[in-house]
Amino acid sequence: MSNTSARLALPLFFLAVLTAFCLAAPNFASAGNFENLMAGFSFIGILAIGQSFPILLRGIDLSVGAILALVGMCIFDLSLMFAVPGWAVIPLALLVGALAGAVNGLLVTVLRLSPFIATLATLAAYRGLVYAISGRQLVPGLSTKPITDRWITGFETYFDLARMLGLKGVVKLPWVPLSFLILLATLAVFYLLLAHSRFGRDLYAIGGNPEAARLAGIPVTRRTVAAYAISGFCAGLAAILLVARLTTSTEALGEGIELTAIAAAVIGGFSLAGGTGQLIGPVIGTFLLGVVLIGLTQMGISQFVQQILTGVILLAAVGNDRWQTSRTERRRTAPALTGGAA
Amino acid sequence: MTQHDQDAPVPGRRSVLKALTLAPAAMAGASVGLFGSRDAETGRPVLARAMAQDGERIKMAFIQWMPHTVPNAWSQGIDEVLKTQAVIDYALLDGQGKVEVQVSLMDTLINDGTKVIFLQPIDSVALAPSIAKAKREGIAVITLNIDATEPHAAHVEMNHYYGAMEIARVMGEKMGGKGKVAILNAPPGITIRDQRTNGFVEGMAAHHPAIEIVADQVADWDRKKAQDVLNTILAANPDLGGVYGVNDSMALGAVDVAKEKGLLGQMVIFGNDGEKDALASIEAGELTGTQYTDVYQQGRFAASAATVLATGLVSADAFGQQGRLLMPYLIATKETVGQIQPNQRW
Repeated sequence: MSNTSARLALPLFFLAVLTAFCLAAPNFASAGNFENLMAGFSFIGILAIGQSFPILLRGIDLSVGAILALVGMCIFDLSLMFAVPGWAVIPLALLVGALAGAVNGLLVTVLRLSPFIATLATLAAYRGLVYAISGRQLVPGLSTKPITDRWITGFETYFDLARMLGLKGVVKLPWVPLSFLILLATLAVFYLLLAHSRFGRDLYAIGGNPEAARLAGIPVTRRTVAAYAISGFCAGLAAILLVARLTTSTEALGEGIELTAIAAAVIGGFSLAGGTGQLIGPVIGTFLLGVVLIGLTQMGISQFVQQILTGVILLAAVGNDRWQTSRTERRRTAPALTGGAA
Repeated sequence: MTQHDQDAPVPGRRSVLKALTLAPAAMAGASVGLFGSRDAETGRPVLARAMAQDGERIKMAFIQWMPHTVPNAWSQGIDEVLKTQAVIDYALLDGQGKVEVQVSLMDTLINDGTKVIFLQPIDSVALAPSIAKAKREGIAVITLNIDATEPHAAHVEMNHYYGAMEIARVMGEKMGGKGKVAILNAPPGITIRDQRTNGFVEGMAAHHPAIEIVADQVADWDRKKAQDVLNTILAANPDLGGVYGVNDSMALGAVDVAKEKGLLGQMVIFGNDGEKDALASIEAGELTGTQYTDVYQQGRFAASAATVLATGLVSADAFGQQGRLLMPYLIATKETVGQIQPNQRW
């Protein structure tokens, strides 16, 4: 398989699955359904984009779900307990997310912990912190009070695409949620950062071979901390979108969502071996998982089967990744091997 | 809490039991009234035939919190009523304990043309926007046990507040009106916890002011966790006379501890819900009592309301106010547990 066809494999597979569900599942090919898909999975797409950065560096961030809950609870407390206006809450929320991510990065670089252990520890710590600062428990009655600040709830806005294109009444198009546009903006920014900046090239170099990158004069520690901070920042952004959707936050928010984000990133072509991947992949991976979940639900297939299928897709993606890697390696080492054997 | 404002009499045990056993019969009668007129040629219920001719099948679904004995029994009760209607497709969906999953499932059901959604919301506020969206689409939402802040078609709940008050009264009697009590509680942030705790504390103050509540600790609804928590409480209060677990799992955890420490018989232990294991434990003389609710019946009631709503006679937004049904209950103790029939045990 050439490089181009490998890159096209995921979008084509996504389109094939999408077409299959449009044909097989009743009510799947409807404007409302695509609206649901965008509204329900955009925040996961943002998490997957963030998750791709640690994975690019041969790392992993298991704490994104806990960071999501931490930021969510900060928004809840600031807005409902302290009546901080929304325009001030949003930058603070993003800052908390980025800082929580940066702590992960420091644990990995300064303390030299394995990313798995470091972020597993912060997963527990951040989740504990959420319970400790929970305004739902500190102030009785607050758990049944929704967040009404327009700056925050404004993130749950939908745009009438058909009207904007002057096609109202001609075709029925889905209303586009603001969260989806934010996902696209996040994708654009981080894609440019990764593909067309010094910072991005450094990350690929570190992921490919950290020691070589260090010898080449790349500030490995700073770059690694930045990568984990980006993951935390994305979790913070996802938290804002989710809190806007729910009009509240809970202590258990985002439990287990790190696995979906990691799955989406890996399906999207970010190899756990580091050094490869394009950011569009994780976004497609997210919506692939979304399409499968919604489609199977509409076909009335048990959710246990859905979970099994998600696992199978993940296994297939990882298997494909391993196969591609070993092929490339074989091709690279083949001349040397034949030379040596002869 | 609205219960504080109302002053409902606590029904006697016998009348409650009568209600429990008579209700299925009454409901069967009601459904005969609704669907009973039969076509002379085919013998099929007229209403069902009319809908079948339209070729329209009615979709209903239940989004549970996570798999557990209570939602499982609700679903059985719901299914029992709906499958007899012949034109209704019913599905049970799992919220996996996550609000975002429940919200996503709500969206999917709304888009899929579902007529009635039964919902056990994980959070009263977080599901409110989804309920509002369902209402806009004319979909009836019926919540089970946990109410939502957005008014909807109906809410069917176990009688948390008054039930817990009654538990306090009976428990105090069993303790001779004096002694120390501990509460094994659910994590905060859930209305059920507040209703049951308030009912118990206020019931104790009203009926048995001499009884002191010395501990109120979180044991996460969990049997194992309850054992650890109670061991800690007992270390500080070796003369503890009673334990109230706000669900049966935690109360059974307390029974485990009492057995292990040889305190069985000295400690009065009450649970809440009335699941099969708890009733068996009462019969074995271990657990002192529990608030029993016929959860199958709760599901049947919800399904009956749903059927009326979905057959097009009443639209979801026709209600000025949300319907609310508190389930009848029985304080099951060694003396009364035998009245609960095998087919009422879940």
